[in-house]
Amino acid sequence: MKVLVPIKRVVDANVKVRVKPDNSGVDLNNVKMAVNPFCEIAIEEAVRLKEAGTASEVIAVAIGASVCAEQLRTCLALGADRAILIETDEDAQPLAIAKALAAIQEKESADLVIFGKQSIDADNSQTGQMFAALTGMAQATFASELTVADGKATVVREIDGGLQTIEVTLPAVVTTDLRLNEPRYASLPNIMKAKKKPMDTHSPADLGVDMAPTQEILSVEPPAERQAGITVESVDELVDKLRNEAKVIS
Amino acid sequence: MLAELHEILSPQRVLTDDASLAHYGRDWTRSYEVAPSAIVFPESAEEVASLVKWARATATALVPSGGRTGLSGGAVASNGEVVVSFERMNRILDFDAADGVVSVQAGVITQALQDFAQEKGLYYPVDFASSGSSHIGGNIATNAGGIKVIRYGLTRDWVAGLTVVTGAGEILKLNHALVKNATGYDLRHLFVGSEGTLGFVVEAQIQLTPAPAEQQVMVLGIERFTDIVAVLDHFKKTLPLSAFEFFSELALSYVTSHRDLPRPLQQPTAFYALLEFDEDRLDDASAAFEGCVEAGWVVDGVLSNSRAQSASLWQLREGISESIAPKTPYKNDVSVRIGDMESFIDETNALVTSAYPDFDVCWYGHIGDGNLHINILKPDSLASDVFHERCHEISPQIFAAVQKRDGSISAEHGVGLLKRDFLGFSRSDAERAAMAAIKTVFDPDGIMNPGKLLSE
Repeated sequence: MKVLVPIKRVVDANVKVRVKPDNSGVDLNNVKMAVNPFCEIAIEEAVRLKEAGTASEVIAVAIGASVCAEQLRTCLALGADRAILIETDEDAQPLAIAKALAAIQEKESADLVIFGKQSIDADNSQTGQMFAALTGMAQATFASELTVADGKATVVREIDGGLQTIEVTLPAVVTTDLRLNEPRYASLPNIMKAKKKPMDTHSPADLGVDMAPTQEILSVEPPAERQAGITVESVDELVDKLRNEAKVIS
Repeated sequence: MLAELHEILSPQRVLTDDASLAHYGRDWTRSYEVAPSAIVFPESAEEVASLVKWARATATALVPSGGRTGLSGGAVASNGEVVVSFERMNRILDFDAADGVVSVQAGVITQALQDFAQEKGLYYPVDFASSGSSHIGGNIATNAGGIKVIRYGLTRDWVAGLTVVTGAGEILKLNHALVKNATGYDLRHLFVGSEGTLGFVVEAQIQLTPAPAEQQVMVLGIERFTDIVAVLDHFKKTLPLSAFEFFSELALSYVTSHRDLPRPLQQPTAFYALLEFDEDRLDDASAAFEGCVEAGWVVDGVLSNSRAQSASLWQLREGISESIAPKTPYKNDVSVRIGDMESFIDETNALVTSAYPDFDVCWYGHIGDGNLHINILKPDSLASDVFHERCHEISPQIFAAVQKRDGSISAEHGVGLLKRDFLGFSRSDAERAAMAAIKTVFDPDGIMNPGKLLSE
């Protein structure tokens, strides 16, 4: 069984992001970048399937500038067998990404495609679903448990108010939720070996995909600063403030 | 007494209830009786000076109290002393952008200083597990070290100026944040590491430094202690390190189970080294790793992929002390030269296990600084007082092993009450006589943290 894992290079989850002074976007200059945490979970799940003997090959794929190769190398160090970089300097948006990935799937015919449920930068949660629609594959989103056997994937999904278990026939798309697994550390011997693993580069044009953005970002604003709390002297004062200032009691 | 204190401080800044006396009267040590007579909360240097003058007039002993994270009993009040808490002196006073110097009151929490530096695009590099609670004043009084010493030195190296209230009740402003000041004795450095025995630090001018590059963390698995030293040497020759820590498999097993953390490597090894370095030197670090593997020193290793993973790897080192706390360990903190570490560890292990075969020694520390933390864990079957009594019987032998190597019986935790009677293992009679003479100059009545560091 072949497993394809699309991954995204994003700002490290623990970086305090800063908006550019001209409000055109987030300042990425000299900012620590990492594999999107949900994509890291996707890679881990794929590698575990391989270690269990269920999967035979794990392919990591990324779309973006040439620096995305760093994150693909990380995935190779974590256990992916090979990597594909679709290199573009365009601002890649979900639909174009899904189309490019569908073109890769056309070549690779993976039995399972594991996406992160969303990327922590734009938080769209669209690419996996769009990819499933474009390829006509079954989809099981927000997985917190995945079992693959007999040409089927059984997926426990995190839904509002509980868990839902569904079964999908392969080939299928799964998107990972936070509790699916805990990603491992990249071992240094594997990082060394990863340098020798193959990484192919394609251009969107090779794949017949137009990456031009269809949406334009007009302005990015930081969230309003939270005001400092105050200490009240008495219960009466607290009640007064709750009633007359916060207006949360009557 | 209360009436007199109320003349200096408003009544709500003088506490005498039992809970407060117990809380403010001790540090992180738990083995001393705690019996202060009052806790006072001054808000300025002048108020501290008034308190000292009152203490002189009434022959009252004073004990300084910061974040109470000390491990040597330096801030313990067990003889009816008045505890001077710096909790309300927690303001950042001024920032000089041209010099990168920040003026703070003594009660500013270390982490607040780190955060302030970060806001200014700068860095305060002294860092350790208790930085979220400890005060800068306490850091200065103990010359705190921690995990970045290999690159950035000790607290002393960042104190550009100091305001102290001496035991004579005088306010001294020392060095005024000057870089160059060739005017004789640098009294500032006498107060750094003085453990409150000469006077109390009330304000400090702290030098900040440019923010470091993004850091990367590696954890390496190493089977023999001698190889840890070889690995340190090999890495140091290849790239600058921000940290080089080590811990034993025993320490790792406690911290991973206590904090429910994944083990870093697939197979356990006898020792682990944690390294931190600038991310842009990753290629050099990887080459150094390969060199260490080829030399047969390193078995396996991992690299953090993200800040979250770096933090998890750091927890493996920083969580040790907390995770072994339920074993009420006997703690010791010593330093020897790096080349003497292995023989010192061997001798200590032999000392402990020959006397008490069921005692486990849990080792960790700052290898890059020659600093070892010795923790002897209490077997579950043994009562705590019996255990500590037995450990204290071993202490002089451990200190003799330190002395034989011209080491220090306290690398960074200070002397306080815990090691006062053992100071002779690291300081000669003449040195201790000089220290006592210096104390009488600044503290003529012997009221400043008496009984700590030097015998009364």
